[in-house]
Amino acid sequence: MTPRRRTWLVGGLAAAVVAGGIYFPLLRHRIRRDAHLEAQSAEQARRVLSQAAVETQAEPRVKAKLFWASADADGTLTPVTIELPLSNDPVLRAKQVLNTLLAGPVNVELRTLPPDAALLEFYLLRDGTGVADFSEPLATSLPSGIESEALAVDSIARTLEANVPQIQRLKILIHGQETETLAGHLDLTGTFLVNTKPAAAAPAAPGAVPAKLTPGSAPGKLSQPEKKP
Amino acid sequence: MPPVRNVLNTIVLDPAHGGTDPGARGVGGIRESDLVLTLAAQIRAALEKQGFSVVQTRQGNDNPSLDDRSAMANAQRGAIFVSLHIGSTGLPGTVRVYTLPDTPAAPLAAGALLPWDRAQATFLPMSRKLAELAQAELTLHFKGSPNTAPSAPVRQLRTIAAPAIAIELSSVSVEQRETLDKMLPGVAEAVARAVAAYKTVYDATPVPGALP
Repeated sequence: MTPRRRTWLVGGLAAAVVAGGIYFPLLRHRIRRDAHLEAQSAEQARRVLSQAAVETQAEPRVKAKLFWASADADGTLTPVTIELPLSNDPVLRAKQVLNTLLAGPVNVELRTLPPDAALLEFYLLRDGTGVADFSEPLATSLPSGIESEALAVDSIARTLEANVPQIQRLKILIHGQETETLAGHLDLTGTFLVNTKPAAAAPAAPGAVPAKLTPGSAPGKLSQPEKKP
Repeated sequence: MPPVRNVLNTIVLDPAHGGTDPGARGVGGIRESDLVLTLAAQIRAALEKQGFSVVQTRQGNDNPSLDDRSAMANAQRGAIFVSLHIGSTGLPGTVRVYTLPDTPAAPLAAGALLPWDRAQATFLPMSRKLAELAQAELTLHFKGSPNTAPSAPVRQLRTIAAPAIAIELSSVSVEQRETLDKMLPGVAEAVARAVAAYKTVYDATPVPGALP
């Protein structure tokens, strides 16, 4: 190799190293950004799909009862009757009423759940346990406190009780995971009794504790989570 | 064998949160974890004046786990547990006293161990009585507070093997910390009066699972 060719080769290699030094950090930044966007898109798509599954059904409009905070700010809930297209399928129906509950009342001061929280999925087990899987903001954006957390869970339980009789107990997951508390206070390790009235598709669980969440009970009362043996 | 009775002499005060967990936070920079520590000091002084000994689950800005706090309480004999909180919601200037909701507890065989995750179940009637006394005292002083003590499945209470309540003040939403600071002496005095009244009930009640 002639000295001139060698100089060109070394020069070319040096230029490639410099270009790589500049390009690789940019590439790494772009990959990280794309990964973040992909995660966001997946979450958005999940929400859109679950919402679409709920909204595309041609269902009759019925009067649904939803529970938001009382205007007296006294730590109790007030039922609000709203006409909604509700499915006869208990899982779809649960999603419909919970999405409406999450959307909030006309007066945003009476919300019981954070505006950025979403219902990711809802399952109904054969023993009548409804499993509601919420996104992380349900825990992270909810104002911390015994009263605020009790109101949040109670509004979910009472709304399900009023509209989906097949659900007898409620289990709350945060992003697919069981968590010890909602936002530092309320116990989420067990299930909440929702409805003890017998439902055709849901046999009573052995050892079930009498429910506090019956229509005649005072609003804002939660039963203690049942521990699974 | 005659029923076993304990004498109430120790109050376990539990200032909630602490360390990396500030608890409820107000717009004016109010932190629940700081305020409950101040409240605990004031309740402690009021109780010690009445001759009770006081154990705190934390003394400074640390955050023992919920189970560590329970372990501290469950190691005491002749004790009750009072967890202290400042909420984010509710009518400012009001106070609520919580117990776990009622659940039927299986009878405990003589000498049987209390299951850790259901330790509170057998003490619920005693907790309820303590909560009623404390709520009545607090409602006298803080108008707008409920007349009866509410219940909620508070995780901290579930593993306490003693009469246990959680007290929550409203709220960190006030603009000035001074508004809450002014409540603290009244809460401390009311809690001390309720505990003194409860002692007569406690001393006359057979304690579930107590050692002879």
